[in-house]
Amino acid sequence: MEQLLDYAWLVALLPLAAAAIISAFGKLMPLKGSEVGIVAVFIAWLISIGITWHTFSNPGVVLERAFDWSPLGGGLTLELGMLVDGLTAMMFLLVTTVSLMVQLYSREYMHGEERFTYFFAMLSLFTFSMLLLVIANNTLQAIVGWELVGLCSFLLIGFYWHDKPNQDAANKAFMVTKFADVGLVVGVIILSAGVAATGIEKPFNIGTTMELSMNGTLSNGTIAFGALMIFLGAVGKSGQMPLHVWLPDAMAGPTPVSALIHAATMVTAGVFLVARLYPVYIQVAAVMHTVAIVGVITLFFAGFLALVQDDIKKVLAYSTVSQLGYMMAALGVGGYTAGIFHLFTHGFFKALLFLGSGSLIHAVHSNNMSEMGGMRKFMPITFVTFIIGSLALAGFPLTAGFFSKDEVLVAGELWAANGFVTGNLVLWLGLAGAFVTTFYMARSCFLIFWGEHRGAHHAHAEEHDVVPHGDDAHDEHHTDEHVTVGHHATPHESGWQITVPLVVLAAGALLVGLPGSFLWPADANNFESWTATHALEEASYPFISAPEDDHPASEAVGGAGVLAAPALAAEPGEHGDGGVHVLHGPPGFEPLLAGIAFAVFLAAAGLAWSIYGKGQPDDDPMFRMGPVTKALVAKYGLDTFGYRYIVVPVRDKLSPAASWSSNVVIDGIVRSAGGAAKRLADATYGTLDQKIIDGGVNGAAFSAAWWSDKLKRIQSGDVQRYAGALVAGVIVLVLVFAGAR
Amino acid sequence: MSEGIHFIGPLILAAFLFCVGIYGIIARRNAVLVLMSVELMLNAVNINLVAFNNLRFADSPTVDGQIFALFIIAIAAAEVGVGLAIVLNMFRNRASVNVDDVDLMRW
Repeated sequence: MEQLLDYAWLVALLPLAAAAIISAFGKLMPLKGSEVGIVAVFIAWLISIGITWHTFSNPGVVLERAFDWSPLGGGLTLELGMLVDGLTAMMFLLVTTVSLMVQLYSREYMHGEERFTYFFAMLSLFTFSMLLLVIANNTLQAIVGWELVGLCSFLLIGFYWHDKPNQDAANKAFMVTKFADVGLVVGVIILSAGVAATGIEKPFNIGTTMELSMNGTLSNGTIAFGALMIFLGAVGKSGQMPLHVWLPDAMAGPTPVSALIHAATMVTAGVFLVARLYPVYIQVAAVMHTVAIVGVITLFFAGFLALVQDDIKKVLAYSTVSQLGYMMAALGVGGYTAGIFHLFTHGFFKALLFLGSGSLIHAVHSNNMSEMGGMRKFMPITFVTFIIGSLALAGFPLTAGFFSKDEVLVAGELWAANGFVTGNLVLWLGLAGAFVTTFYMARSCFLIFWGEHRGAHHAHAEEHDVVPHGDDAHDEHHTDEHVTVGHHATPHESGWQITVPLVVLAAGALLVGLPGSFLWPADANNFESWTATHALEEASYPFISAPEDDHPASEAVGGAGVLAAPALAAEPGEHGDGGVHVLHGPPGFEPLLAGIAFAVFLAAAGLAWSIYGKGQPDDDPMFRMGPVTKALVAKYGLDTFGYRYIVVPVRDKLSPAASWSSNVVIDGIVRSAGGAAKRLADATYGTLDQKIIDGGVNGAAFSAAWWSDKLKRIQSGDVQRYAGALVAGVIVLVLVFAGAR
Repeated sequence: MSEGIHFIGPLILAAFLFCVGIYGIIARRNAVLVLMSVELMLNAVNINLVAFNNLRFADSPTVDGQIFALFIIAIAAAEVGVGLAIVLNMFRNRASVNVDDVDLMRW
């Protein structure tokens, strides 16, 4: 198993090979290339499980392999390499599992699609990109993976490119994330410049960067600016407010894409990168507070937007934004493990929910919940698995989401003991967010599965006023093609290729939370010991002043809070400055917090049942809240604001100006420089080349010819003239000798 | 010996013969006459050699000059043989012994 870590690069490269093979030969294959993608990711999945097994049973194991790759030479060494530790293994497991399930699912969901082969090539390429980012041992390689992820996202959102709104959604996603990526690049440059200034040849190496941040070599200013800029990239990619606007629109892509990219893996890239560089982030208080506040704002406000959505995928999209907020918020309050634990569990149940919604859309040919209803009778498997996913998302006790969300809240509660208000914000707004989450998920479930079936008879109803973009059209468009001609009698359960992934992911949504829960054996390796990286073990929070001496270290590390149980993993005094209140290890069973969480769940679910239990009410109270509804339907005006104050000025002012400066100024400079160069060249040619050099050469030749014509006449062939010349020469010589004498 | 004949006489004779030879070489067109002029010049040199030998080594038995003169006579005979053969061939090919006619070796 040890040696398996050396082959971790295979996990990343297998999907790349699959993408290349599918692109080249996919259309010739019996299953149109889908078999290549599935087999490749299946092998990668097996390797990932091996790596997971090894890293889980050997905490702290870390393997870094890299080869130098410096096309430019010089003192700067660029690397291409891999860093395999628990965090990498966790992402491997998540990405390959979801990718495998999504590809299997897509075999049926995308069946008959014209660009079926292309779709699978892109899925494989996306999987590769994400894994390239995950495996990176240096930030430069991470940027490459990151940008490839963005590219694949763009291509897949715009998969149904013949509809204008889908193109717009793809462009929007690309532009918004690209805007944020400027921050990422700037941040990476700042950090690596700081590292390079110390004379280290490999400034992009993540391990080196973390080490220098922790031992104080990098100044706080450098760290703060670099980390915040990288965080800007994460804000864009991970859909944090206010750059989340692309994510709901990205639902224009096919549903499996939404599951893979916009729920489980791609949007976690930002969270992952922050987690990867976590020892850098915890150096400066301002950075931590920024991360926490952005996360809290996102988790709290994004959830409300889901309340007024009719499109099931939009509900899930906003819930994704909200859950990403939980992850960021957890990272911002010292809850490293809590954040990535939530990332891990969320990946499973959100992929499950998206695939379940795809199964529903497949059956009723509409994204709108107003056209569903009563689906539990038609689609039992989808029903059960979707409910499991919803419960996990809502944090129903003993599901994966319960444990991870619980841990986020405990992390916030502990952080508050350091004297930071962000900890309290995470705890209480997190609880409020949980209420909203439960409510909108319950609303969706009741609207979809209970009541009477409302679809088909009056399909294309007048509910469009709720959904600003008519981007449900494409899903109808492609599913219609292989359904018996236009005959929407009753919806029916999907085939095994859709239900098997649902069942597998449902099992995941129930079980993957266990390693980080209080149910896990206390002395066994748990989620924290698995994913805590080596650097993190030694990391400290320098901005938290050490408390008075009588403060017991064990309590400080684990269980200072009212709600939190003593940490299971932390030993007393493990942290040098022992007074830091940070969650370590899974929190113990805490009746108070579990009770509050369960009460919140029951309250929200009961409220939803009272409104939606009988099917869709004629006047949804969500739409009778006056200005609140108006704000929510308008998505807090962020889209309008962005359109009016960013898109329009850029389009009408900046673009023409840029175009003018490009066409007139820069082209003019280039053109005049070119003209001047041409005139100079002409002059040089006419005088120097033609007259001087050619004239010299020709003149030499002509004078030689002229002289030879004259001189050749000496060679007359007349013997007597030669003799005369001979005599004359002798006479001259005689005279000369005589004179010399 | 020195009483017998004054050496100026042979020298004048040699100079005269040499000049006649030069004139013949430069002025005559007939190849045979040119050859004969060459012979005149050679013999002028022979006279000079003998005369100067007697002038220089009057009281010794040295006869270097005479020996050289004999060499020149022998070589001149050979030279005339070659020369006349060339002239003969020239006449056969061109029916002429005029040196002006053989100017193939020109530009």
